[in-house]
Amino acid sequence: MLSAIFLLLACQLVGEALHRITGLALPGSVIGMVLLLGWLALVRRERPTLGAVSGWLTAHLSIMFVPAAVGLMQEGPALARYGLGLALATGVSTVLTIVVTALVFRWALRRFTPDEVGKRPVQLAEPGA
Amino acid sequence: MSALAGLLATPLLWLAATLGVFEIFERLSQRSGRHPLCHPVLWTTPVLIALLWATGTPYADYQADTFLLSFLLGPAVVGLAVPIWAQRERIKRLAVPIVLSLAAGAVTSIVSAVGILSLFGAPADILASIAPRATTTPVAMAIAQQLGGVPALAACIVLFAGIVGAMVATPLLNAMKFDDYRPRGFALGVSAHGFGAARAFQVSETAGAFASLGMALNAVMTAALLSLLAALL
Repeated sequence: MLSAIFLLLACQLVGEALHRITGLALPGSVIGMVLLLGWLALVRRERPTLGAVSGWLTAHLSIMFVPAAVGLMQEGPALARYGLGLALATGVSTVLTIVVTALVFRWALRRFTPDEVGKRPVQLAEPGA
Repeated sequence: MSALAGLLATPLLWLAATLGVFEIFERLSQRSGRHPLCHPVLWTTPVLIALLWATGTPYADYQADTFLLSFLLGPAVVGLAVPIWAQRERIKRLAVPIVLSLAAGAVTSIVSAVGILSLFGAPADILASIAPRATTTPVAMAIAQQLGGVPALAACIVLFAGIVGAMVATPLLNAMKFDDYRPRGFALGVSAHGFGAARAFQVSETAGAFASLGMALNAVMTAALLSLLAALL
């Protein structure tokens, strides 16, 4: 368990260091994620505790961003002024992104990987399911 | 009384309050069958703001007391490597559709969100807060901070995007006649992060797996695209 926590913190630490030294604009934690991916590819060994620790963290992700979200109490003026624009831009962008991603995936699947098309025949989900 | 007063100088009060309020809404969310509108953060946030306001506690004090929770976001982001690694065979097989649709989705998300919001005359810090709106919250907050945006606003935008995505995806993709759960799930994860993945798992295991993959990969893709953009500007 400790070794898994150490691995996560070490990757983040090196990520933060690289971020500061190289001036790379990627956040340190994202660099850390890429480093961990590299580590997993390099040291090919089953790591059940790493899965357990990262799974626990992911499962409790929501509560970790409550402190930041509470910071909205300081953003009253910005929200009052741009609230409509923020809601509209977020809503439209979310729908557009789903449509574009799904269409490009389907097109590329048929165009470049014909073997994979229809590999998992499935029925449409019921509306609202 | 003075014996108790010292307690207020410890992080215990606000840490416990945050966990307690969250737990109440977490149970209500479970009871609702995880309806997107019952997401615990959506309700915990205003209740805590009200408590801080009623007790005259400055946000800076609250932020310092709950630092332990915020700190965990970093290792949680690093841990996203684990599900990506677990899906490596799938990624290899479907590399071309995954990479192309991921790039298309990430660009669409950034351009449309920033483009529409700039029509409202929003300043740079607000635009920087919406740019990472499709990524999972901790990554969005880190990117927003990087670009000179407001992490709290980014968290709120991401939350709203997740709710919209989880609610429209099934009717939208059905109307477009998508009968394959791979593009369906992937699109949901790329656009609506954790909310999309949670919704996708309710529909099908395959959709859920592809949604988690989309979420994790888009965290890297959007971060890379925006860093590149920031470096060029």
